Amino acid sequence: PYLSTYPVDLNECGPMVLDALIKIKNEQDPTLTFRRSCREGICGSCAMNINGSNTLACLCYIDKGAEASKIYPLPHMYVVKDLVPDMGNFYEQYRSIEPWLHSKDGKSAGQAEFLQTKEDRKKLDGMYECILCACCSTSCPSYWWNADKYLGPAVLMQAYRWIEDSRDDSTRERLEQLDDSFKLYRCHTIMNCSKVCPKHLNPGKAIASIKKRMTELH
Amino acid sequence: MTVISSKSAEEYKKQNYTERMDKKGMPVSPHVMIYSFPVVALSSITVRITGVCLWLGVGGIAAHSLAGGDPALLMASIGDSPVLGPLGKLSVAFPLSYHFLGGVRHAYWDQTPEAVTNEQVEKASYAVAGGSAVLTGIAMFM
Repeated sequence: PYLSTYPVDLNECGPMVLDALIKIKNEQDPTLTFRRSCREGICGSCAMNINGSNTLACLCYIDKGAEASKIYPLPHMYVVKDLVPDMGNFYEQYRSIEPWLHSKDGKSAGQAEFLQTKEDRKKLDGMYECILCACCSTSCPSYWWNADKYLGPAVLMQAYRWIEDSRDDSTRERLEQLDDSFKLYRCHTIMNCSKVCPKHLNPGKAIASIKKRMTELH
Repeated sequence: MTVISSKSAEEYKKQNYTERMDKKGMPVSPHVMIYSFPVVALSSITVRITGVCLWLGVGGIAAHSLAGGDPALLMASIGDSPVLGPLGKLSVAFPLSYHFLGGVRHAYWDQTPEAVTNEQVEKASYAVAGGSAVLTGIAMFM
């Protein structure tokens, strides 16, 4: 692996790091490879490490100071090419928490929706907005050292989103699934995750809430 | 590269991800060397480092006495010396106070998940560092 430096005329370039990357790919190096899609901070494709912190390139303003911006792929991920990491493990971990509604009895005849009070719906705010960009999980040193067994903040926050959903009937099973020494308890409240979330969510708090819920399990 | 499909879950469970990727020879992206760690993360790793120091210290004292030495005498002679004294007291008081205050902070977070927000954990990290500095300062000259 090697680093390349590209000079970019910022007067001829959009304000975000993604604009600069696209400009470099268009004009200087067509082989520069990175993921991108919506360019507005909602798809999560362009997550990468910019000047030491994980963010979305489409939301990160270019620092117009004297020094060159340092752009790396998401930390401690297996690199496919340039800025593209392998996300397979992350997605499989998300699948493993079964992120869909578990309803014991299904819908009764003629029932339209599973009803939920406004208060119960409010509990999901701050968790359902996650775009699964992996900025948080890849900022967590615990996830760096234990990516195969620790689920990471993104997946754990989604696990909590389903635990908190009043329409879901599998709350106890979901909590029991997390009850080993790696899946949840590698979290030591380092709080890199919440610092770095581009959607300003708080996975650290969600994980602390899961831990508190686990005490009721025992 | 991992391909996600309806059947990939079984494949995933069969073999450890890290082993599978290492076999392919894919490089791992840089982490500790390039990441810019915030205050809270530095505070957290210091709690761990001070924990290791305390463990080594207690182990050292135990080994010393098992080997026939007199740790009380050794500590007294260090403590009385004008230069080594405060330094020695610092090297005991700092890990002890920092690790203890870090533990208190963590117990608080366990009880009160609502306090785990970016602003509050940063303040808590400064509080632990400040409290530990005060306690160490007092202990150094006792």
